[in-house]
Amino acid sequence: MSNAVFLQLLTGLQLGAIYMLIALGLTLIFGTLGVVNFAHGALFMLGAYLGVIIAGETGFLLAILLVPPLLFLIGLLLERGIIQHFYDRPHTDQILVTFGIAIVVQEALKWIFGANNIPFPTPSWGSGVVMLHEYLPFLDGIVVYPQWRLILVVVSLVTVLALFGLLQFTRFGLVVRAGMRDSEILRFLGINIERRFAIVFGLGAGIAGIAGLFGGPVTQVYPGIGMAYLVPSFLVVVIGGMGSVPGAVLAALLLGMALSFSAEYSNIQQIIIYLIAVIVLLVRPRGLLGKKGVLE
Amino acid sequence: MSDPGDTNALRGEVLPVAIFAAIALTMPLWFPWIGGYSGLDTKILIFVIFVLGFDLLLGFTGYLSFGHAAFFGTSAYTTGLTLLHFSAEIIPAMLMSVLVTFVLALLIGLLLTKRTGIYFAILTLAFASMLYRAALSIFSDWTGGDNGLTGLPTPVLFGQPLHDTPMFLLVAAFAILGFWIALRIARSPFGLMLRAIKSNQERLAYTGVDVSLYKLWGFIVSGLYGGVAGSLMVIYEPYVATHFLHWTMSGEVVIMAVIGGVGTLIGPMIGAGFMMYFENVASAWIGEQWLLVLGLLFVLIMMYMPGGFMEGGRRLRAWFRHRRGIADAPTPEENDTHG
Repeated sequence: MSNAVFLQLLTGLQLGAIYMLIALGLTLIFGTLGVVNFAHGALFMLGAYLGVIIAGETGFLLAILLVPPLLFLIGLLLERGIIQHFYDRPHTDQILVTFGIAIVVQEALKWIFGANNIPFPTPSWGSGVVMLHEYLPFLDGIVVYPQWRLILVVVSLVTVLALFGLLQFTRFGLVVRAGMRDSEILRFLGINIERRFAIVFGLGAGIAGIAGLFGGPVTQVYPGIGMAYLVPSFLVVVIGGMGSVPGAVLAALLLGMALSFSAEYSNIQQIIIYLIAVIVLLVRPRGLLGKKGVLE
Repeated sequence: MSDPGDTNALRGEVLPVAIFAAIALTMPLWFPWIGGYSGLDTKILIFVIFVLGFDLLLGFTGYLSFGHAAFFGTSAYTTGLTLLHFSAEIIPAMLMSVLVTFVLALLIGLLLTKRTGIYFAILTLAFASMLYRAALSIFSDWTGGDNGLTGLPTPVLFGQPLHDTPMFLLVAAFAILGFWIALRIARSPFGLMLRAIKSNQERLAYTGVDVSLYKLWGFIVSGLYGGVAGSLMVIYEPYVATHFLHWTMSGEVVIMAVIGGVGTLIGPMIGAGFMMYFENVASAWIGEQWLLVLGLLFVLIMMYMPGGFMEGGRRLRAWFRHRRGIADAPTPEENDTHG
């Protein structure tokens, strides 16, 4: 494998990682609560802004400890305050109210911090480059890669595995998965499904916080990034199959690779992910790993 | 469907259109009194056309489009390009724009109208985003890229340059015609089919109706309203801004329809007027945060008054009637259940 191809693969992985982190929370919330969350990009953006502020004041390590739990809390409050009243309303109403929330968050951030990009420096322990050729003997010559982008990939993988483990191997995950199938029965069994739904929404928001914190130094931080990343992340969810976590991972990788390998043709790169979405949905209307019955 | 001389037709179409025409045509007289500047009235009526089409889709079929900017923007670019390269006459420009919008709506409609509500909302957003991206990259030689399409000639109608009053009258004519057609659609068998799609499309399909065909036509008609609005926008102000294609434009029309009252046609028109007034006049005393205030209002309306201003009006009427005394009106809610 030539160095150029290897670097393109790595870049594809890294581009996919950020979409995957955002799409993960989206698909979790959709699969569990049936809510299409147009405010998810805004939660991602809140994560980035909180990250810049906390990292700037106290250092990045404390931001890692604080930002995801803060976003979890914000998600919990959002669900209890607004979203829970929309479970019995039409899907379009859920889309509309979360769209409203997205506007409020975006405009509030613009008001407080201004419309310009806020520089988000990577912490000193992550701002160097990695000498890839020292670890990978098949590369010839000197091959370096920004350390932070590799950290982003690792963080994404750890988050996916942790979420997968939580859903598959814990009692909480079992109940949530059962709730996705048939929340009525669970209610009859005396299980407080509402509380778990609130926690799932919080979890989705918390993952958006991780995405904002680790992605912020790569994506820039200004009031438009929420919406800018929401649309591709929606496509990741739709291509992967609504509500499917493995599907989201697969689709994010696909789009990341497409973006990376089309980089030489910048005109094509601008629209490649939309083209892929159209093709995939024409061939497989439910997405790559979408299940029958979801959303139909 | 209706006999000539049917009083129902009078109440259903002629009266609302006449009232709207009276309000719209006298706008230049009273609008400055409430702080509106000259030209804003024209813009409001352009958005009235846009939002009427949006409401025909969301309010009737229940399909939420987050990509209506695709029609508005594509048509705006088509008008701009026709004015620039073909003729400054507006008739060929508008015809061309309507044609292009029709083809675009047909293509997107064929791909998407078989989708359910959620997919539809996300995919219309994606399509519009793709067009926006394409306008800025692949087509930038024609669209002017980030700068938008500039240097357009002053649009003329039969050789007469369109300014202030003639321009306003042209837009007002389209708005009144658009409202009348929308009312006709609402009361036609076609409109009934669209409403049936919203309430239960499986049942409709079982009765042998080709549901996707009606959805497709509903989508195309809705898109054409956006196309006419986008074309008029460029004729009014000979410049195509890139944000005509941006998702914020789709978002604006969504906000207008929802705060006014989806499915009522009149509500979204009020919503368009309210939002444009809010953006351009009230922002002077609210400041830069007008969109934040509007966003909060939007969320509150979604939570407590999903029928928007129209529902607010109905509730207020019911409340007054209730206060006037229960004794002389034993069933005060009777008339309010009909939307």
